[in-house]
Amino acid sequence: MASSIPLLDVRDLNSVFPSKGRPVRAVNQVSFTLNEGEILGIVGESGCGKSTLLLSLLRLIRYPGKVESGEIRFRGKDLLKIGDHEMRSMRGKEISMIFQDPLSTLNPAFTVGEQIRESLRLHNVINGNTLPWPFDGLRREREKKRVLQIMEEVGIPSPTDRYASYPHQFSGGMQQRTLIAIALACNPALLLADEPTTALDVTIQAQIINLMKQINQERGTAIILITHDLGLASEFCDRIAVMYAGRFVEQGTVDDIVENPQHPYTQGLLDCRPRIGERDQAIRPIPGNVPSLANLPHGCAFASRCPHVRDICEQGPIPMFETEPGHLNRCLITSDFQRDPDWTWDTVVDQEHVT
Amino acid sequence: MFGVAIIVFFFIRLTPGDPVDIMMGQGGAISAGELDRLREEFHLNEPLHIQLWYFLRDAARGDLGYSYVLKQPVTSLIAERLPATIELAGGALIFSLLVALPVGIISAVRQNSWLDRLSMSSAFLGISMPGFWLGIILILLFSVRLHWLPVQGRVALGSGLQERTGFFVLDSILTGNMAALTSSLLHLVLPSITLGAPVAAVIARVLRSSMLEALRSDYVTLARSKGMAETWVVVKHALRNAMIPTVTVVGLQVGILLGGNMVIETVFGWPGLGRMVVKAIFDRDFPLIQGTVMIYAFTFVMANLIVDVLYTYLNPRIKM
Amino acid sequence: MEVNHDISPPFRDQAYGWRLRLELWWRNFQSFLRDLRAHPLAMAGGIIVILYLFAAIFADQLTVYDPTRGDLRLRHIPPAWEAEGDWAYPLGTDSQGRDLLTRIIYGARVSLSVGFLSVGISVVVGVLFGTLAGYFGGRFDAAVSRLADLLLAFPFLIFAIGVMAFLGPGFTNLILALTFKGWVEFFRLVRGEMLAEKTREYVEAARVTGQGHAAIITKEILPNIIQSVFVLGTLRIGYMIITEASLSFLGLGLPPDIPTWGSMVATGRDALLVAWWVSTLPGLAIVLLVMAINIFGEGLRDILDPRLKLDG
Repeated sequence: MASSIPLLDVRDLNSVFPSKGRPVRAVNQVSFTLNEGEILGIVGESGCGKSTLLLSLLRLIRYPGKVESGEIRFRGKDLLKIGDHEMRSMRGKEISMIFQDPLSTLNPAFTVGEQIRESLRLHNVINGNTLPWPFDGLRREREKKRVLQIMEEVGIPSPTDRYASYPHQFSGGMQQRTLIAIALACNPALLLADEPTTALDVTIQAQIINLMKQINQERGTAIILITHDLGLASEFCDRIAVMYAGRFVEQGTVDDIVENPQHPYTQGLLDCRPRIGERDQAIRPIPGNVPSLANLPHGCAFASRCPHVRDICEQGPIPMFETEPGHLNRCLITSDFQRDPDWTWDTVVDQEHVT
Repeated sequence: MFGVAIIVFFFIRLTPGDPVDIMMGQGGAISAGELDRLREEFHLNEPLHIQLWYFLRDAARGDLGYSYVLKQPVTSLIAERLPATIELAGGALIFSLLVALPVGIISAVRQNSWLDRLSMSSAFLGISMPGFWLGIILILLFSVRLHWLPVQGRVALGSGLQERTGFFVLDSILTGNMAALTSSLLHLVLPSITLGAPVAAVIARVLRSSMLEALRSDYVTLARSKGMAETWVVVKHALRNAMIPTVTVVGLQVGILLGGNMVIETVFGWPGLGRMVVKAIFDRDFPLIQGTVMIYAFTFVMANLIVDVLYTYLNPRIKM
Repeated sequence: MEVNHDISPPFRDQAYGWRLRLELWWRNFQSFLRDLRAHPLAMAGGIIVILYLFAAIFADQLTVYDPTRGDLRLRHIPPAWEAEGDWAYPLGTDSQGRDLLTRIIYGARVSLSVGFLSVGISVVVGVLFGTLAGYFGGRFDAAVSRLADLLLAFPFLIFAIGVMAFLGPGFTNLILALTFKGWVEFFRLVRGEMLAEKTREYVEAARVTGQGHAAIITKEILPNIIQSVFVLGTLRIGYMIITEASLSFLGLGLPPDIPTWGSMVATGRDALLVAWWVSTLPGLAIVLLVMAINIFGEGLRDILDPRLKLDG
């Protein structure tokens, strides 16, 4: 059952951090849509702006950084235009987030149970209007029961014993489950996951990913997963967006990306993974370095490292081309358009399929 | 503590000058037999380690010796003056916390605002000023020029204060003496500010820096992502963690309070332990010095103990 | 260590020695000065301190009057900017008719020498003990640490007062009083850092190449620790100066004939109602100097180790 409007519709999102020189463009004209219950993976290297993108969606970017322009339509409502109060009611309730390093994300001074309960309390999930503290014993009891339920759902063993534990007493995997519990407490429609498994062992990684899959299937929660591991994304996600230097350079379904990668960067990423069975092949990394986000080149940001580069690549900002339905690619050379003899930068603007 | 006692003892005993001779210098003629008897009583003829033993034994029983100069037992002298010092220290502590806590928090939350810069500059000034100078300046300004606040002493003469506990503020409340209450409070203002200022400065700075660190941490971002209002995030999450290093510093500051109070009491004519000690030093009244220094050290150790306990309470990682 | 190829072969081996080191040191110093220039406040602080030093050293040349003897007919002349003031006595005179500016300048000698000397000795003792305790551990460490803890049980001022009380006034006694407890801080700092660094890889590496303990300590570990010691030291100088002033104020510092800022403030108290400047201005001198030192010290810390920055 798909609803008519997408869950999330992001258009031309730009987030910048002012600095002494030119501003740092962490998120640069990013657009994508996400439907209910879908899993989108955002893949890219460290520092390419992925985390900033997620934080932008929740309007959590710290001053002096800010969202400069664009639209973030959540079920039709533009999140950038609503008031602070309304935005706060969305955070944690409709859209939740989990982070990379669970130990530093959990407050060391409060118990695990308390931190999960906090989510419930903030959004009044249990029992709308009751007496304020300290007369709310009944409500606290009910909230606690719900927390125990959630803890069990995310796979924390012996929840009743663990309720009063502190984060540092948990293992990495359990801490991450706690974070997930906090995020899911109010049953959000969208879960943002910023590299949730990077800090964990491989076996625990698999467990957490399975947990997230389970959540997606049982509750229909849409997920945006950030990772630098293309393999992980291909296993877990429905669609993938590849991010480079603040821009999406390729978007499509998992099959599109993995079987028919079009952007040279995506191809490079797929190439440089060591494969089981190919022992004598040298690993082929992508030469060069990511350009600084404050000093982006005028043309294609990947030009200096691209094996297909031509002069035309450096002349102007490259738009996204839809080479197949649903498969977008920000490369002139590997898309069809460069074969059109009448093609110029002006014609680009008029193209229908360009985003 | 034990070691403390030993050090104190040896220091005192190492001074030149037979204490009994000094006493003689105060009183007038005392017969030779009397002298010997006194020496006997104060164990001065015994070797040093025996003297130490007597001292410790008496101290454990609450008897800190006898002041030659003032002709009273040290313990009662201390008991007389102690409430005054405690009132002053308390006043200073309250003042410094009242100022430092809000300033530290707000400066961190509104980093680099004019308020932040102003507070940090003032804090900087606060740690660069000698206490006695600040006191004198305040006296000049508020007492001499503006006549708002009294210059010296704890309470105005003629207020008819009856002492019950020795804590003037408390006593005036207990006896229902409004005039005395206002008077004693007014007298408390300037000394408390002078003593508390450097302490407040240090606490404010530490609090600010730990708050800044807390506000930058991941768990604060998480709290915000849960939909928590900013004020609440600051108070519940950030502050709780920022308090941990701050509390340790507060404990150390108690030491400064104790030390500074000698100077401040002198400046303001505050009849407390500090002033007594200073006078005792000039009078070479060793038992008194000994006893008071012991009390000071004891208080300091106690305060640090409390801080340690508080610390383990605040920081769950240590509880294990 | 870069090899200076400009030095011709016969000297090149020697060049690894003092000449090259001197050049490297000079370059470091210059870059340090450049960093300092970026911190105008810290520079201002440093300049003020230098001015004070200058005044203290050249006190005799700078002043006209005798700091210890005054003319009672000239007592209580207000500072020059006031109504009855006189520019011949720019800051006025005290109760004994002595020119205040002169006394303040001479007072700088005391404060500066006490401040730097006490911190200097504390640093040396503290670093020495800390290095030995941290590096070698064992009974020395246990004993000294115990002593340190014991000393820490006393608030600083009380300890100093106590020491001065029975040692009596005097310069060496004062220094002794201040350093007796002062070294503990540096001891702890160095010991802590030594313990931490001892296990780091570069120490292992040095040991593997056959360096003796002394060499390891001086060449490898100390340069890393020196910076934090230095920063702490500069910040403590101000505190020592204030403590000295407090002791003088109470009459427990130097003999009364030597002009110290603390004693000036103390004697000025009696005349507070008629001659406010006698107490206020010496105190102001203290505040200015300590603030300058502290600003410089904090700037130093920002430059040398931005991690420790209090501003975040």
